[in-house]
Amino acid sequence: MKIKQKARQNPRIAALLALAEVLDEHKSLADCLSLAALRASRDGALARHLTYGVLRWLTALEWLAAQLFSKPLKSRDRDIRRLVLLGLQQLWHDHTASHAAINETAECARLLGKPWAVGLVNAVLRRFQREQHALLERLEQRDERFAHPRWLLNEIKQDWPDSWQQILDANNRQAPLWMRINRRRADEAILHEQLRDAGFETVGHPFAKDAICLTPAAAVMRIPGFEKGWLSVQDPAAQLARDLINPQSSERILDACAAPGGKTAHLLESCPDIDLVVLDRKAGRVAQIDQNLERLGLPVNGGIAETRAADATSPKDWWNGKAFSKILLDAPCSATGVIRRHPEIKWLRSGKQVDAVVQTQAELLAALWPLLQPGGVLVYATCSILKRENEFQVQGFIEQHADAELVKTTVDWGTALAGGRQIMPGEAQMDGFFYAVLRKAA
Amino acid sequence: MAELNILEFPDPRLKVMAKTVESFDAALKKLVADMTETMYSANGIGLAATQVNVHKRLLVLDVSENHDQPCVYINPQILDRSGEQISEEGCLSVPGIYANVKRAENVTVKAQDADGNFFEERLEGLHAVCVQHEMDHLIGRLFVDYLSPLRRNMVKKKLEKQRKTAAQEAAEHLVI
Repeated sequence: MKIKQKARQNPRIAALLALAEVLDEHKSLADCLSLAALRASRDGALARHLTYGVLRWLTALEWLAAQLFSKPLKSRDRDIRRLVLLGLQQLWHDHTASHAAINETAECARLLGKPWAVGLVNAVLRRFQREQHALLERLEQRDERFAHPRWLLNEIKQDWPDSWQQILDANNRQAPLWMRINRRRADEAILHEQLRDAGFETVGHPFAKDAICLTPAAAVMRIPGFEKGWLSVQDPAAQLARDLINPQSSERILDACAAPGGKTAHLLESCPDIDLVVLDRKAGRVAQIDQNLERLGLPVNGGIAETRAADATSPKDWWNGKAFSKILLDAPCSATGVIRRHPEIKWLRSGKQVDAVVQTQAELLAALWPLLQPGGVLVYATCSILKRENEFQVQGFIEQHADAELVKTTVDWGTALAGGRQIMPGEAQMDGFFYAVLRKAA
Repeated sequence: MAELNILEFPDPRLKVMAKTVESFDAALKKLVADMTETMYSANGIGLAATQVNVHKRLLVLDVSENHDQPCVYINPQILDRSGEQISEEGCLSVPGIYANVKRAENVTVKAQDADGNFFEERLEGLHAVCVQHEMDHLIGRLFVDYLSPLRRNMVKKKLEKQRKTAAQEAAEHLVI
């Protein structure tokens, strides 16, 4: 026997609810309850796929929809407008058979309690089918095709006059699933065999030597070795932090903004007997670090690392006065380098918020620099592609600190700039990332 | 565990009468596990052996909110029924069709578990509906048999059309 699904179990309705959570309540996709409710099921995968797709192409879809409606919908019917966006996304970008996409999508209007809109959604989507060639050609002439907010589009164009189009293009592509092998724990022969048996293809990375790319992507719980702590989800760009810190036995190292602890774990996996202090500002996020380290078999507090909830900009609250030989400052940032993984970032951030985060970055750099011993290095990292958070931030810092010197890194990845190294999104299949290595005069 | 193929109306094998289960062996346990998996993966709340072309008196169901309370009824018998309820039913063998069906509100069921132990339960609401729906399968009856001949014929036509478009869709996917 079967009973009719509740509306929220319908993948398209779940996607609509998730869109409302992101666009109206400003939640990140990872926190969307409507997607979490469907997590394990096949419908869950479809709901997630649709939600990500609409957020990836939002302004382009909105422009298309505006051309197709003969008159705009009332604001209380924005669920119907979003339903049309969902339908357009399927017709335009997915290879959903058109009649299925149109009918299933239009039927959702009924589940939303708006049966009057079934015919309308149907008609609008069929009109797109008929006119899509001309419409898409017109879209090609407009900035909406980039599907980025105006402020961000302008800033990317200004920062990267030669490569802005590649950046926007990479931001709108789906990211591959990259993982990090826990070389301290994983039996690699068995791991590779289990991955192969589970139907995954694996590829390594030219620069990040612990990185492994899994296709097809899958929920982590379905990946053999994840629960045993053999693997973690982490982009290769983030894995390069370990190489720059290059931890050595008994070195005293600070990981200042550590949550969720991916880079922390990587440092400990490669050199467990470092004297590592791990901070994050929020207690909940510190608990997340502890959890991750535990899964990876890296005991915390009393074991090899010390994690605590503390504000790195205020060392008097947590610092015992012993200088660090190395500091990793993975600073809070606009996350504009990881838009391909988190398309909602485009619609949740504003230029003003970036002003505030640039200020925080400057405060962190200034507060942590005195904690570094002479001759020590500070690795400044962001997952941003904006110069004011990266190159300009570092240059400004060096101007104000006579004892700070930018170390020329001899690595093969990224582009060397006056203030550090920038990895562009999509470059060697990596997220957009920035690193600067600063040495304190001895 | 394996997912089993579900027969669809108007497949004549859905009309076969199921026989009493006599041996409670490992093969039976495997069948129960496979049927439970098949039911979950098809988003069903109940599945009778008849629907997977096994003609034994056996059904699985799970009417819980979180789909985490699977039950099995082997050689079920209804000892007592009372009251009336009408609810909208659908069936994994009649995909996409839902219709109101009148059933008993309460039923007392006697059945055996996978080890052959007898038990008796008094059921109500959806649980009672589901057991009655599944027990109908075991005697070759579908919920659409409660509809008027005219409506049953409409259902048949709608299903044929659905199957045709599904085949078309699959073909289109292959081209892409």
